[in-house]
Amino acid sequence: MPTRNNEAWLSDLATPGPAREAALEDLRDVIQKGLPYALSRWLSPDQPQFNSLVEEVTQETLLRVLDQLRTFEGRSQFTTWVHKIAVRIALTELRRKRWRDSSLDELTENEDVPPPPGLLADPQAGPETSAERADMLARVSRIIEEELTDRQRQALILLGVQDMPMEDAARKLKTNRNALYKLLHDARLRLRRRLSMEDIAPYEVLTLFEHK
Amino acid sequence: MNIRAIIQKIKKSFSPHEELPNQTVLGFLHVLESVQEEGCSCDEVFTRIDEYVEREVDNRDAEDLMPLIREHLDLCPECCEEYEALLDVLEKTSQEHK
Repeated sequence: MPTRNNEAWLSDLATPGPAREAALEDLRDVIQKGLPYALSRWLSPDQPQFNSLVEEVTQETLLRVLDQLRTFEGRSQFTTWVHKIAVRIALTELRRKRWRDSSLDELTENEDVPPPPGLLADPQAGPETSAERADMLARVSRIIEEELTDRQRQALILLGVQDMPMEDAARKLKTNRNALYKLLHDARLRLRRRLSMEDIAPYEVLTLFEHK
Repeated sequence: MNIRAIIQKIKKSFSPHEELPNQTVLGFLHVLESVQEEGCSCDEVFTRIDEYVEREVDNRDAEDLMPLIREHLDLCPECCEEYEALLDVLEKTSQEHK
C-alpha cells in the first residue's frame, strides 16, 4: 500500500476514477486492520457474527467517509479520522444489539425470581447505618423528584434504569444524542445546586454506602 | 404475580412518577462532583476525539490541552467507550508498525 499523507488521501478520494478506487481499496485494508482491536472488548473474532459485522461496518464507513470528506479538518491523521467513524458505526450497532438482547432476556425472566438484594439489605451494616442510609436515600430521592423535569426524569429512566443506548433513548425522546447529553448535564447541575443548598455533599452520601 | 409485585403496582398507580431505583440515584450522585458548569457536547467530543487520542498515544498533554473533552469522557459512558475503542486501535496498530 502506498504511504499517503492527508493531502494525498483527500485528493485521491475527491473525484471518481482509478485513484479513488485504489484509495478506497487501501482504506478498506486500514479499517479492517484496526476494527478488530476496537471490537475486542465486545466480541471475539471466533464469534460467528464477527466477520459479517466487520464487513458491514467497513462498507458503511467507506460510504460515510466519502460523504463527509469535506468535513475533515486535518487535526489528526486522515486514517485516525476514518477509524473514529468506523468505531462510532460499530459501537452504535453493538450497543443496539446488546440492549435488544438484554431486553429480551428480561422479558423471558421468571416473574417469581426474587429481585437482587438492594443497597439497603447489606448484611454487614448495623441497624443504625441501615437507618441512616434509608433516611439519606429518601432525602436525595425527594430532591430528585422535586428538581428534575419530567423530561430529565424520563431520560434518566431510559438510560439509568432501562440501560437503553443513548442513540435509541434520544430517538425515543424525539431528540438527538447531543441534546440528550445536555438535558442530563443540566439535570446534574440543578441537582448539585440543590444538594448544596440542603448541605448534602454527594461524596458524603456515597461514603455512607461504602461497605464497612 | 406475587404479593410484593401487586403492592408495587398499587403504589405506582398512586405515584405520579416511576420510583427511581436506589442504584440509579447513587449512580447519578457519583458523577455530580466532577460536573463542570461549562461542558461540551457529544458532537464536539466526536469532532475532536481523533486529535485527543493521537495526542494521548504520543504523550502530548491531551488532558491538559483539552480538559473539557476529558471531563465529558468521565461523564458520558458512550463517548468514553468510543474513546477507549479508538485508543485500542491506535495503540495496537502503531505497535504493529514498529
